[in-house]
Amino acid sequence: MEPEEVAALIEEGIPDATATVGQPRGVDDDDHLAAEVVSPAFEGETVLDRHEMVYDALGEHMTTDIHAVELTTKTPEEAEE
Amino acid sequence: MSFEPEPSLSPEEVQEQVDAAIEQNEVVLFMKGNELMPQCGYSKRALGLIGQYREDIATVDTLEALDSYREALEEHSGWTTIPQTFVDGEFVGGSDVLAELDEKGELEETLDA
Repeated sequence: MEPEEVAALIEEGIPDATATVGQPRGVDDDDHLAAEVVSPAFEGETVLDRHEMVYDALGEHMTTDIHAVELTTKTPEEAEE
Repeated sequence: MSFEPEPSLSPEEVQEQVDAAIEQNEVVLFMKGNELMPQCGYSKRALGLIGQYREDIATVDTLEALDSYREALEEHSGWTTIPQTFVDGEFVGGSDVLAELDEKGELEETLDA
């Protein structure tokens, strides 16, 4: 799955989210993605709950056409630090 | 010709082992491989993150019967991915959650170290 499509799914699924999705192992490896997601919806949520929100947004793609995605989640305040 | 070894543990045995490991250990990491030879980058990363704060980590090698472990773990965490960390019987997460907790300075406390 293309990084842009993954980012779009996350942004659709989480309120006011901005997702930056890259390929940490290089452009030839689209099996391993890394996503940084910033959303005010993460405020007050545990890290585990934040990650589950992202996985929920990706839905069945996580078990079909996404092999692995490393997640980082931040609130807008945390992103500014 | 490919050789697929028979899983050495039955699904029931795996279920019992997972239940017991979560119940009886303060910190348990279900991983691929073992502490000396992690067989997956994510398992190795999880081990390293926990190892910064705790030396007494129990590890379970899920490669012994991967599918059975995934099923048994899902009952506890809702996740089928490996690695998975539990502290005092509570699901903490996989390597990404550990990394993010560490970045926030919350991992040591989470591990009850």
